[in-house]
Amino acid sequence: MTLYEKIKQIYPELTSDDFMPNNGTIMLQNDSDGRGDYIRSWTHATLAQPTEEQLAAIE
Amino acid sequence: MPVTINASTSSGVVITPDYSGNIQLQYNGVAAPLFHAYLGSSQAISSATYTKLNMDTEEFDTANCFNTSTYRFTPTVAGYYQFNAQIDNQTGSPTRQFLSLYKNGSTSKVGLDIGISTGNFSGAAGSVLSAFAYANGTTDYFELYCWCNGGMTVAAGSSGIQCYFQGYLVRGA
Repeated sequence: MTLYEKIKQIYPELTSDDFMPNNGTIMLQNDSDGRGDYIRSWTHATLAQPTEEQLAAIE
Repeated sequence: MPVTINASTSSGVVITPDYSGNIQLQYNGVAAPLFHAYLGSSQAISSATYTKLNMDTEEFDTANCFNTSTYRFTPTVAGYYQFNAQIDNQTGSPTRQFLSLYKNGSTSKVGLDIGISTGNFSGAAGSVLSAFAYANGTTDYFELYCWCNGGMTVAAGSSGIQCYFQGYLVRGA
């Protein structure tokens, strides 16, 4: 399961617009350095950035 | 000893090769950086995730400025650079996707954000980017990222003809 899918599972109310490059509030990134996907920035007005524990609990 | 050639006539400067050697454009004694790198193998892109493209194979790299381990171009001559890139989807069906030229770790220029109506381009889609950017010749570096709103796999293709990243010096600073 990708990071995007995990976040969507934690917050089903998020829409694809929240992840859009220009107007979205959540930016995910992968630097192809073996570390995988990560949250580069999270500026959502009402939803808190998921913790590592929350994300790890979803498989 | 550097020599300056001035275009002092209305005909400008004309260089005529005599077929006895090479003409190499240099800036302060350094070969003008120019590279062509491409995907050596297909690469998966997660949905809604800026992903650096693994341009791990070179066709040429005149000044050894492209790193095939970090997929990063760090030009050694200050000036203005032209970048070209394109990718070709192998699988997946995103309805939006684009390439992003990163400078020093952040988006600098983006290619056309292609909105694809589902079904219109089944099995065949891609993105292109063409942009200028300035480099200071020491610390500035460039990378190519891809973003799409649905997972997909970028095709490696054959010998870099489908998915590649190019850059070259247009004018010194």
